[in-house]
Amino acid sequence: MNVLECEGLVKAFDDLVAVDDVGFHIAAGETYGLLGPNGAGKTTSISMIAGILESDSGSVTVGGTEITTRTTEGKRQIGYVPQDIAIYPDLSARENLRFFGKLYGIPKARLDERIDEVLAVIGLTDRGDDRTEEYSGGMRRRLNIGIGLLHEPMLLILDEPTVGVDPQSRNSILEGVEELGRTGTAVLYTTHYMEEAERLCDRVAIIDGGKIRAEGTRRELVELVGQLDTINLGVVGSARRLAEALASVTELESVIATEGSVEILVEGASGLLPRVLEIAQQSDVGVSGVEVIEPNLESVFLHLTGKALRD
Amino acid sequence: MKALAITWVNVKRLVRDPSTIFFVFIFPMLLILVLGASFGGGFQPQVAVLDEGGGPFAQELVDEMAGSEDFDTISYDDRGALLEDVERGVANMGVVVPADYDERLQSGAVAQVEFVGRLDQSVVQYRATIEAIVADQSAVFRAARLVEAQGLAGFDDAVASAQLATTSTARTVVVRESTGESVFGEDLGQFDLGAPANLILFVFLTSLAGSAALINTRRLGVSRRMVSTPTSIGQILLGETGGRFSIAMIQGLFIMVGAAVAFQVRWGNLAASSVLLILLALVGAGAGMLMGAIFDNDEQAGSMGVFIGLGLAALGGCMVPLEIFPDTMVKIAHITPHAWALDGFAELIRRGGTIGDILVEIVVLAAFGVALLTLGTWRLRAKLTH
Amino acid sequence: MRAAFVIAGKDLSQRIRDRSAILLGLVAPLGLAFIFSAIIPDTTASFDVSLAYVDQDGGEISSGFISGVLPDIEADELATVEPYTDLDTAMVDVESGTTHALYVFPDGFTDGVLAGDGGSVRLVGNVDHSISTQIADAILSGYLAEIDAVGISVDAAMRSGAQDPTALVAAAAQSPDAVVLVDTEAASRELDATTFFSAGMAVFFLFFTVQFGVSSLLEERFYGTLPRLLGAPISRWSILGGKATSSFILGLTSMVVLAVATTLLIGAEWGNPAGVAILMISGVLAAIGIMAVVAVVSKTPEQAANWQSIVAVLLGLLGGTFFPLSQAPPALAFFSKLTPHAWFLQGLGDLSAGDGLSVVVIPALAMLTFFVVTVAIAVLAGRGRVLAP
Repeated sequence: MNVLECEGLVKAFDDLVAVDDVGFHIAAGETYGLLGPNGAGKTTSISMIAGILESDSGSVTVGGTEITTRTTEGKRQIGYVPQDIAIYPDLSARENLRFFGKLYGIPKARLDERIDEVLAVIGLTDRGDDRTEEYSGGMRRRLNIGIGLLHEPMLLILDEPTVGVDPQSRNSILEGVEELGRTGTAVLYTTHYMEEAERLCDRVAIIDGGKIRAEGTRRELVELVGQLDTINLGVVGSARRLAEALASVTELESVIATEGSVEILVEGASGLLPRVLEIAQQSDVGVSGVEVIEPNLESVFLHLTGKALRD
Repeated sequence: MKALAITWVNVKRLVRDPSTIFFVFIFPMLLILVLGASFGGGFQPQVAVLDEGGGPFAQELVDEMAGSEDFDTISYDDRGALLEDVERGVANMGVVVPADYDERLQSGAVAQVEFVGRLDQSVVQYRATIEAIVADQSAVFRAARLVEAQGLAGFDDAVASAQLATTSTARTVVVRESTGESVFGEDLGQFDLGAPANLILFVFLTSLAGSAALINTRRLGVSRRMVSTPTSIGQILLGETGGRFSIAMIQGLFIMVGAAVAFQVRWGNLAASSVLLILLALVGAGAGMLMGAIFDNDEQAGSMGVFIGLGLAALGGCMVPLEIFPDTMVKIAHITPHAWALDGFAELIRRGGTIGDILVEIVVLAAFGVALLTLGTWRLRAKLTH
Repeated sequence: MRAAFVIAGKDLSQRIRDRSAILLGLVAPLGLAFIFSAIIPDTTASFDVSLAYVDQDGGEISSGFISGVLPDIEADELATVEPYTDLDTAMVDVESGTTHALYVFPDGFTDGVLAGDGGSVRLVGNVDHSISTQIADAILSGYLAEIDAVGISVDAAMRSGAQDPTALVAAAAQSPDAVVLVDTEAASRELDATTFFSAGMAVFFLFFTVQFGVSSLLEERFYGTLPRLLGAPISRWSILGGKATSSFILGLTSMVVLAVATTLLIGAEWGNPAGVAILMISGVLAAIGIMAVVAVVSKTPEQAANWQSIVAVLLGLLGGTFFPLSQAPPALAFFSKLTPHAWFLQGLGDLSAGDGLSVVVIPALAMLTFFVVTVAIAVLAGRGRVLAP
């Protein structure tokens, strides 16, 4: 069953159509990525999904309940982590958590326990009683996410949670999201980092100019573009001899030998790689390294929109 | 010169702040206007007058009261309104001439005039003034009744000759003189009294509230950046001091010139009042520097500045005149620079003094300025380099 | 409803930590009221009038005043009277202000009056004691008016054909007053100085206190927590309700604390507690409404704070919180009524007259009108904007 279903979302600000007919669905345990550059309509879309922003048209249901700005109970199923750090600087982490916990109606007995759990997960157990204005940027970022997890939502919406985060914190955030997926939480993740979408998301929607340009698993998206994989072989011995031997394989689109390496273009590298290596062995050419480069979402994005993902 | 650049940035930031326009330029003028309109022109007690009968004798009494120079009269035609306004202090006291005033006088009875006063207001002195006017009227009818009683004329003729007698009889006269040195001066303009107090209040208020900008500069790290440039700490401190001083001077000059132009306020001897203003601005700059160095939170410093600014102004005689302070409070008031500056301006404006007459005030203000500036720059230096 | 209280509770705990709110809500008004009460002289204390006289005349009219009128004045404790024999000594004392006013009866005064030539009495007053001098003047004038009345009576009779002035003098002196002044005591609806400044400062700073609560909505946007609140399973009204509740509690608490503190510390008399409570509640509501309008039309917390201080100071000045405007010119008095401050102070003043609770109805209604109108404006102006993420 789908945790989130949304369709036909439209939002215009004056003359600017920020979101134009956006729709998708996320199943339990699935991590869904909205990949697009700044200004693509990601935040506007999830604001409507989270019931923060009134949509011009379209519908959102989470766990079977329709979500609008007037919904109250239904929003319990949603955990929302805004892109900007949204915590009270003059309150401690524990107080921030307690406040939002109460707003989500977590029973008092459970709340204390749950706050401790979340503090442990985000690594702030020791600093939980300090005012958050004394925190480092990474600590605030983690608390920002922690508040969204507090009430154990069935859908967690993360809006570019790694922007401006140091590499170490970033990695721990990504690991956390992967863990959530395993526990059955549906995750809606927006980002303009291709690597994050590739690493985390089971399915990705490519959004630009307020429209979803393509959607699917990474594989499906790449195939949509129809680009070839690249196999780079590091070679000990004669690269030229290997190249000549490989010419017999008709599935290989092109084989280029350079000093110490052979570059092969192929459709579906994984399927042909064993044969390539077998030929290398037969040709008595030593292989020192194998690198398979599949076309990435970056190139998919470039292909679909004609522009680069990063601004 | 680098210090000048820092000063200039300070002034620019002040002028760009939207609330500055109101608090530095509009509000002081408004305050002088409201104060002048409400209290200027000296205190003249207001007497509410109600003539219930409207007869000719009553009219004469009312006219006599209206002609008095000791108070102003306000006419009422409703007893309830008169009573309410006396109770609220809109009028200091009231006089009601009853409906039967004329009738009683004609019939030979004793006519009563009602004096409406409050126990909590010192109206004793005004009651006596009104009583004297009533006595004058009484004298006319006493004379008329005597004439009538002696069988010399009928009532109307008797009144006529009594009225003639009041003008022709040689009267006893009170020759009034005054002596001594007037505290408030003889011919102050409507706005003269409030303007110096406002000048002093606002120079300090603006300086203290302006310290928030200094803290803001430190918080934003601009100060550290300044220190990192090849500019000596001395130059930075001088520039910041110059900034505080310029802002205080802008405020002071605006009020001085503005009040002189808009409300014809006289500031007395130009050289002497300029010296006072400059010293005042220095003291303000010093206080602002000190605040800016002590506080680390600009919002708190802003609120604190308003509170200290208003508190010192009240204590120093800028809200309630020092002249009516109890004696011990006058002494306490002089721990503030405000009171000394007020004394200085009083000497210049009310008694036409010159620099020579305000030497003590100049020395004290200069001492305040030096002390505060030294303390302020010392604390700020410590904050900038640690 | 529950969510509104959770939000209000969070706001309040934030405000309590924010020293600015405590400073402007409690310390500043209390401190200023304290300073004012110290520097305002107690007007209800007995008014000192020191009079003196030099009698160079020694006739019956001067002594009639000195031994007939002045002793009564002293007995009534209206003034102290000091006799002088030497004019120069007396003049020195008036000039220095030791004596406020001096009567000088010149030689031959009585004789001149009795001869029908009139006469003059000098009254020398110290310039800084004009009220004492006025009192002195009024006492003397009253006495001389009686003397003159006799003269006028005799003169009038002679004009009408009477023959014997001496007999008339006796008759005239016996004749009773034709007009007398009788007293009607009015109650006071003005606050004494201490209460006035306590209440004035309290209502003036109330607007700053309430501002912290109202502007916290802009702060939520600034902190980025507003979208979080919007995403929470609570109704949008409970967010506004929470803000209003915390503003109300902040404002009312500061007013109550100030009323109690000024009553205990400097002897302010706020009056009937029920009436004061009604006025305070409606005053706090009016303040919330006005500050809400300013907050709604502002874009940033900083801009709101700027404009809110401007509005608070302007209304405070017009509302007569710094100095009473009871005798202001009519135009100013009219503008004054356009502030809740003026109504609050008027309500307290009426209450102080002790006529019961009904007197607070109109001031309270006036302030509630401010509340209703400003809230309506805030809702209209903020529709679709205030709760946009």
